[in-house]
Amino acid sequence: MPFLAAALNVVGAIFLAHAIFSTHEHTSLHPLSPLPRDIPLELLLSLALLTTGIVLSSPPLKPIQWSHWAGKISREGPSREGYVTREGEEVLGDVDPYAYLGLEAGREGRRGFWGPREARERFLGWVKEGGEGVRLRLGSLWCEYT
Amino acid sequence: MPPHPPNLLTPPQTITPQTALLLSQKAPRILSSPPSGSSLPWPLSLLFSPENPSTWTIHENLLLSSLRTGDDASARKALDRLTTRFGADNERIVALRGIYEEAQAKTDKELEALFHRYEKLLRDDPTNFAVRKRRIAVLKSLGRTSDAITALTVLLENSPTDVEAWAEASELYASQGALSQAIFCMEEVLVLVPNAWSAHAQLGTLHYLQATSSSPPNISSLSTSLRYFSRALELNDSYLRGFYGLKLVSKSLIPLLSDSPTNTASSSSKRKDNKDKDRDAADDEDLPPPSLATVKKLEELATSRLGEIIRNYSSGRKGWTGYDEAEVIAARELLDRDGQVER
Repeated sequence: MPFLAAALNVVGAIFLAHAIFSTHEHTSLHPLSPLPRDIPLELLLSLALLTTGIVLSSPPLKPIQWSHWAGKISREGPSREGYVTREGEEVLGDVDPYAYLGLEAGREGRRGFWGPREARERFLGWVKEGGEGVRLRLGSLWCEYT
Repeated sequence: MPPHPPNLLTPPQTITPQTALLLSQKAPRILSSPPSGSSLPWPLSLLFSPENPSTWTIHENLLLSSLRTGDDASARKALDRLTTRFGADNERIVALRGIYEEAQAKTDKELEALFHRYEKLLRDDPTNFAVRKRRIAVLKSLGRTSDAITALTVLLENSPTDVEAWAEASELYASQGALSQAIFCMEEVLVLVPNAWSAHAQLGTLHYLQATSSSPPNISSLSTSLRYFSRALELNDSYLRGFYGLKLVSKSLIPLLSDSPTNTASSSSKRKDNKDKDRDAADDEDLPPPSLATVKKLEELATSRLGEIIRNYSSGRKGWTGYDEAEVIAARELLDRDGQVER
């Protein structure tokens, strides 16, 4: 599909450029005579090709009903937008917009009231409890993500 | 397995120790190059290195995740960069520096010293809400929950539209066992963000807890809970917690409703009598409980949708991997328990 869309866009753009060029040449050579029929036809054809190509190459539509949109976030998690920032962090699409309320048990939220000591204690507890096993598990995870 | 590697720009909602470590391991790479928008002197920087706001989000998240894993050197560097950019007097930076120092505090005494520092900061500028929230967080960390609640009520009197603070108040009240106060605070959250499905589910949970605290469970609280979970599902059609709650509540509501078939008629007639008397009373409390047939249908719906979610999540089907693993396991346990009862 992306190849078809790109091909349609390229062909459409060529036809469009050709139609414009022909119009310009015709009006400068014969300023008083009307345009021959094939130039407007080519213009219309190029428009049709370009429109189809642009529609086909556009990203998938987002749901416009609140419950479907919210359901998609729950089901799929954040989607990839396809580009990364300068720091190498991927830009992700929609996430739960109410996560900041911190109402889901075991999830992050309510930044303003975050307790760094508790978070650190939990992490250190995990490290102490894991010991050697932790390093192995980390190793495999690290491989998974790089 | 999460579908994406941990990300500092949009940090994952569930931060397990593994995720926390992966997030803070990004520190050397991010701190090795100068932040965007700072490498050139002023007129040139406008043209050649445009500043990107995501840089500062990443630095802030890096600061927090480094503090979580105890990587204080990286945290300090991230904080210094943020301070250079926004100034030491910026409200947010003041709060972030506070978080950094809280993480360094080894004993309760050091934390109390920090608490007095916050008090002094607030005497100079009482409008700094970030610091007021830090002060409450320190109280909570010191285990002084009732003081934290008092401080929070004062904050909410000054700023009644602070949803985060209402949600925090609700949780603190619930942790103290004061469920009706917790419900009141959650209702305030709902007034401010009526489309938040998690707020509806949380209210459903609180009503369920309140209903099951008495024996036999209170039918009107249970039906209120059922309504809140249903509303959460109206707002989010694949909400695991909503279906879980719907299933749980309808399961405890069905025997109660089938025991008292006249209940619906009597409570609705009572409602008519009292209508003029307590028009101010909360409407949901007065509504008659739903009919048995409706609750049974809701239970079936919840069971089938939970089954669908569990099946698709466990088979790793594309488009179903966004759920939280612990939640899926809990849902499976709920369904298993249910199956054993029927057998």
